[in-house]
Amino acid sequence: MNAFLIAATVLLVLLVLPGIVVVRGRPIDSIVALELCGTTITLVLLCLAEGFHRSAYFNVPLVSALCVWVGGLVFVRFVGRFR
Amino acid sequence: MKTTDLLVDIFLVLGVACQLVCCLGVLVFGNVFDRLHFAGAGTTLGPLLIGAAVLVRQTTSAAGITTIVIMVLILVLGPALLIATARAARRIEFGRIGATDQERGPG
Repeated sequence: MNAFLIAATVLLVLLVLPGIVVVRGRPIDSIVALELCGTTITLVLLCLAEGFHRSAYFNVPLVSALCVWVGGLVFVRFVGRFR
Repeated sequence: MKTTDLLVDIFLVLGVACQLVCCLGVLVFGNVFDRLHFAGAGTTLGPLLIGAAVLVRQTTSAAGITTIVIMVLILVLGPALLIATARAARRIEFGRIGATDQERGPG
């Protein structure tokens, strides 16, 4: 197990912290936590790609970064309507 | 231990520590705007350091260039998303995006 796989494991465990906010917080708080979760997941995928020494895996965090951004914008767009 | 390995370890530890602080901040602080500060830091510092760790290994290979693209995407698009979130939060909390009368102050 190399340093990148250890870092990916620790980052995965860290997802519990904003995950609590996602489950228990108000919708707007949950979206903020979800955005941080998305960034962290992208970093996890990047660390896994490097940890496994597979260059093809680097496309996954690239797609993840784009999907997190688009998904976040959609959530913000709809939650912004509620007060 | 080679210098590159040491650099990778340092960047990874710092990057994961940054993400830890950001995740803790989002959990501990109760205000949505305080949480946004930590979420914003989570899209800049941590990704930069972890991306640097990958780049130490990959340099200018295809994977390295993909890593640079990912870093640029996170660093450019992340704050844009946070601004949109802050505007929505402002609309929810105060009913409008602009400054309130109390925030403007006298005069």
